[in-house]
Amino acid sequence: MKTHPLTQAVDFAIVGSGAAGGVLARELSSAGFSVVVLEQGPRLTLADFEHDELKYWFDAGITNDVVKNPQTFRDDHAKRGERNMIRPSLCYARTVGGTTVHYTANYWRFREIDFEERSRRGSIAGTGFADWPIRYADLEPYYTKVEWEIGVSGLAGASPFDPPRSRPYPMPPMPVKSSGVLLERGARKLGLHPFPAPLAINSQHYRGRPACIHCGFCQGFGCEVSAKASTLTTMLPEAEATGRCEVRSESYVVQVVADKRGRATGVRYFDRDRRERLQKARAVILSANGAETPRLLLMSANNRFPQGLANSSGLVGKYLMFNYTARTHAVFEHELNEFKSVQCSRVVFDFYDSDPQRGFYGGGGIDSRIGPQPIVWADRIGEEGASWGSAYKARLMEFTRTMQVASHGTSLPLETNSVELDPELKDAWGMPAMRVTY
Amino acid sequence: MRKPDLDTYSRRAVLRVMCALGGAWLTLDLAKVVHAAPFLSAAELADVDAIAAQIIPTDATPGAREAGVVEFIDRALATVFARMARDFRSQLSEFRLRCRVQYPDVPSFAALPRQQQIEFLQQVERTPFFERIRLLTIIGMFAMPKYGGNRDGVGWKLLGFQDQHLFQPPFGYYDRDYAG
Repeated sequence: MKTHPLTQAVDFAIVGSGAAGGVLARELSSAGFSVVVLEQGPRLTLADFEHDELKYWFDAGITNDVVKNPQTFRDDHAKRGERNMIRPSLCYARTVGGTTVHYTANYWRFREIDFEERSRRGSIAGTGFADWPIRYADLEPYYTKVEWEIGVSGLAGASPFDPPRSRPYPMPPMPVKSSGVLLERGARKLGLHPFPAPLAINSQHYRGRPACIHCGFCQGFGCEVSAKASTLTTMLPEAEATGRCEVRSESYVVQVVADKRGRATGVRYFDRDRRERLQKARAVILSANGAETPRLLLMSANNRFPQGLANSSGLVGKYLMFNYTARTHAVFEHELNEFKSVQCSRVVFDFYDSDPQRGFYGGGGIDSRIGPQPIVWADRIGEEGASWGSAYKARLMEFTRTMQVASHGTSLPLETNSVELDPELKDAWGMPAMRVTY
Repeated sequence: MRKPDLDTYSRRAVLRVMCALGGAWLTLDLAKVVHAAPFLSAAELADVDAIAAQIIPTDATPGAREAGVVEFIDRALATVFARMARDFRSQLSEFRLRCRVQYPDVPSFAALPRQQQIEFLQQVERTPFFERIRLLTIIGMFAMPKYGGNRDGVGWKLLGFQDQHLFQPPFGYYDRDYAG
């Protein structure tokens, strides 16, 4: 495998190996450029991906670690940030492949409206509500390209709300689950339009990766057979096969280094032995997710750019946005066994679009979704009704007959929602911790 | 792993007694019989066990006690959840103090009659301590048995969860012969 020397500038140093970094590594190395991908987390193999809920949901088996990578959180700028010692406030996969390793692999496309919502709906006071600089039509060829390269299962044309597509999905949808059947029947009765959930999970053998074995451990877990597409098992091996790309794991970038003209010349990072290293590069790409990318720009402040890099606007780290979720549970007469197979098999998008008549901004999808695996499920059902005692235990025993319906929607961009450097707390490498205000 | 010293050994004996006697041991003043523990003391263990047993009680089916939740919590606070240990102990002390103030004639939460235990927990169910011990109880009930809880998979059996890697459709009753 290719190893690039530190002292010789590579064409591109890419920080982060997830959805963006992994794809860029493949595209750039295939185009003939020399590339080093620096990933702060370790490189895991399929054999590492156990069904260990404690490890992966509560002990940083894949994610950032509340001890080594601490964060503080506050809901108000007047408050001091507090540490959460159970799970990080902003949780992401800290491993080669990034969040594509532990995501649920829902793979629906944005719709035309998402790109031009501000123009079509008007401004909203006090927010940064804006259009995208591109339109759906600009992205469509890339949606198609990625669906065919990594493998997406779905049924084109099944949803009347589907944006135009130039090709169908490369694989048929995943088998429907009992929750999908119940959602579909109920939704149709109400005149809604449920359709098979598009998933980046193989419903059949695809480009060297096997079909899903329905083990049920997608959300929050790495796929033990690589039926779920991740950059770890698709893009990065292809990038490495070019002979021009090196993926350097356990390499924690802490600064983009700039020359006297203010141009990036490389990145400073800690290697796995905590030795400080400098990788020279002609260009640096930051693809370290929506929270660590602004943190790195802020940590890269220098005399010339005291506010951090790329921050003449002062907006780096501002307008942090999440997709919100809401969920509820229902119990049926017979077994559903939601713990088996993919997390979601049917979706309803009838309420996706914002509707001013509702009196609030935003819409979203509704789906039947596994409420993940035992520990998290048992915790979450306590959100409604009894959360401990005999009545709670009776609800636990309804596990196999319980269905969760989840909705997922957008949030408005507010300048006060932000990622900054905590003024006091440091991480295990002595770097400023992330402070989240939301 | 900890070295099996005298303290650990006697704590193990306590834990065995707890399991063997079910509710009957509540009348014993365990703190007097046993040495201080490497993490939780015998008295703390007794209270944690009693709280966990109210969160997921034992009735016709096994509960937190049969799953070994108290052993899990004690071990986890010294290992995988060491990061929570200090807060947990101070919150537990507050809990125990509050209980003593409210019931001055009873030596500990564990020694309260069942109904009073439930009433007291209802008063504190919104505290960070209760939320934490509730989550630890759930984790101890349903985590992989290698962490010391979910003994013999009793937690998974209670749910009907099957720990295996390969399933095939139909997955449940409603997706059988579904034409779509």
